Amino acid sequence: MTRKKLTYLIFLLPIPVIVASLFVGPAGNSSFISFFRWFFMADETINSEMLTNILLQVRMPRILLVFITGGILAVSGAALQAIFRNPLVDPYVLGLSSGAAFGAALGLWLAVIPVQLSAFVFALAAVGLSYYMARKNKQISIVSLILAGIITNGIFTALLTIIQIMSDPFKLQSIVHWTMGNFHNANWDRLQMAILPMLAGLVILFVMRWKLNVIALGDEEAASAGLNPGRLKLWILTGATLAGSAAVAVSGIIGLYGLIVPHVVRMIFGVDNQRTLIINFLVGGTFLTLIDNISRTLAGFEIPIGVFTMLIGAPFFIWLLKKSNVGWEH
Amino acid sequence: MESSGRSKSYPFIFLAILLPVIGLFTTGCTSKNKPASSEASITVTDFRGKEIALAKPANRVICLIESALSGIYMLNAQEYVVGVPSDVYRGSVAKRYASLDNRLANGLLPSPGNWDFISIEQIIALHPDLVILWASQTEAIANIERFDIPVYAVMIHSIEDVYKEMADFGTLLNRRVRADSLVSFTRNNLKQISNQKKEKEAVRGYFMWAQGINHTSGKNSTVNQLFEFAGIENVVDSEMEHLTVNIEKVLEWNPDIIIMWQNDKLMPEDVISHPILKNTKAAQLKQVYMLPGVFDCDLWTLKMQHAVKLVSNWAYGESFNQEEELEKLMEVLY
Repeated sequence: MTRKKLTYLIFLLPIPVIVASLFVGPAGNSSFISFFRWFFMADETINSEMLTNILLQVRMPRILLVFITGGILAVSGAALQAIFRNPLVDPYVLGLSSGAAFGAALGLWLAVIPVQLSAFVFALAAVGLSYYMARKNKQISIVSLILAGIITNGIFTALLTIIQIMSDPFKLQSIVHWTMGNFHNANWDRLQMAILPMLAGLVILFVMRWKLNVIALGDEEAASAGLNPGRLKLWILTGATLAGSAAVAVSGIIGLYGLIVPHVVRMIFGVDNQRTLIINFLVGGTFLTLIDNISRTLAGFEIPIGVFTMLIGAPFFIWLLKKSNVGWEH
Repeated sequence: MESSGRSKSYPFIFLAILLPVIGLFTTGCTSKNKPASSEASITVTDFRGKEIALAKPANRVICLIESALSGIYMLNAQEYVVGVPSDVYRGSVAKRYASLDNRLANGLLPSPGNWDFISIEQIIALHPDLVILWASQTEAIANIERFDIPVYAVMIHSIEDVYKEMADFGTLLNRRVRADSLVSFTRNNLKQISNQKKEKEAVRGYFMWAQGINHTSGKNSTVNQLFEFAGIENVVDSEMEHLTVNIEKVLEWNPDIIIMWQNDKLMPEDVISHPILKNTKAAQLKQVYMLPGVFDCDLWTLKMQHAVKLVSNWAYGESFNQEEELEKLMEVLY
């Protein structure tokens, strides 16, 4: 398949995937056939209230939340890989995930702060701390930023451990489950709560997307093109952190997704961020929606989505890695 | 250049479509909770302090707590159960539940979840009139209550909590007389065991959870109650319900008896010959015992009395036919 045809496919695929996912779920009485019989044949044996509840109140918000989260993790990963000029970077590199995990644990432990809000605030705080630690003489070097991220990760992991030790077995189990990443409590309220920072972060990254190509060449090259590399990095970090924190706050930690998808996109579509940022969003969203379909239907109960992103994503990534160039050689 | 110009506009077209669509969905599809029924004739207060009101006794119950499910079976109300935790199909309890209910023996009762991993849509599809969950599962509870499904939230810290749980289940499932009778039976049994004169000096005990030799429980726990009813003093001085202690502390406490929760990896003989624990009085006196099946000794159910009886007898060396006693108890409870 040519690259052009593949691009069309990627732009068109999300809609059928989202619609088809609406009819995927453990409740057998909410299948496409039930919907068809109720909607087109006015079959009165179908429990319409239950059907619409499951389709519109349970599955729809979850599918949209999963799609947007997948897209955000991929876009944030791609943007951060560009500014760090490092293929090993993902949205969690600056301590976002450990900050969010600590925030969520604090929320679960104290039971007075909403878990998502606490996760969001501490994710932002963790990245802020990394940025503050790495800043020296009003300059930020990539190496010091990554090192600061490692330190921040360590600090918040230690704080998380303290909470885990203090928690009773019930809360401890909930904390551990939160860190596995899942969408089983997705609903419209949760989507509403997260959508604003998610979209704000996405808009910043999309507006900055052509500048990503310049900053990916290095600070000097960016300066010679008339850009302020420090300010540019701050904007991109702000966009990626805002969107990434909101996504992690509602989904928990979905490991390595923001690393794998940008690589897959780069291997197929090349390194032009101006073009691939939107492709990252669509591929990230579509793929995570498909994976979530498996996680909510494979067993009667919910299986954390992070399990499948690794079990399915990692072998696919390795296969692609052996088959093509990573994209950093160019 | 032309293709670059075209690709530049893609994100804006995309965002222009995405933003209004999401805005439309998120504002238009938020569920509105209906007001609570004014015809409620049955009310109980759950462990969150929330009043649960039902117009008639529940007859489609999803219970996602194994110990609570065990209570429902004790009330002979299993016919009302339409959903169970996935635990009951696994491990040592599976066989026991299979013997209590043919639907479980044949895998016919759906299991829409376990702990935090709950399938909301499966719960809705089962059309329950009552869902029983742990009170700590705040997110799942909120999500289920959005669909006007009553949720009874449970939190067990003591045998008194078990009595309350049983009484509330009795009310909600129209089995209050049976619930009161079982609670009264258990109270009397426990009172009788704890009133037995222990002529010897109080035995000091250490409890060992299955996670490892240094996983134990402090004063604010059902384990502590188990010890108190059995006339044993818990050596752990912490108030915490579950804690990990340094093995040095176990040596310092030097318990007279060690009681182990069911454990597949460690046997009482292993503890007796353990290179460090062998120096404790309990190991030297070979006073190390493991409670039999999790199902039979569940400390979050009325079956705690069986564990109390066992521990009391191990500690004070009274003659006791374990199997006969268990059989008698199960006949009363189920």
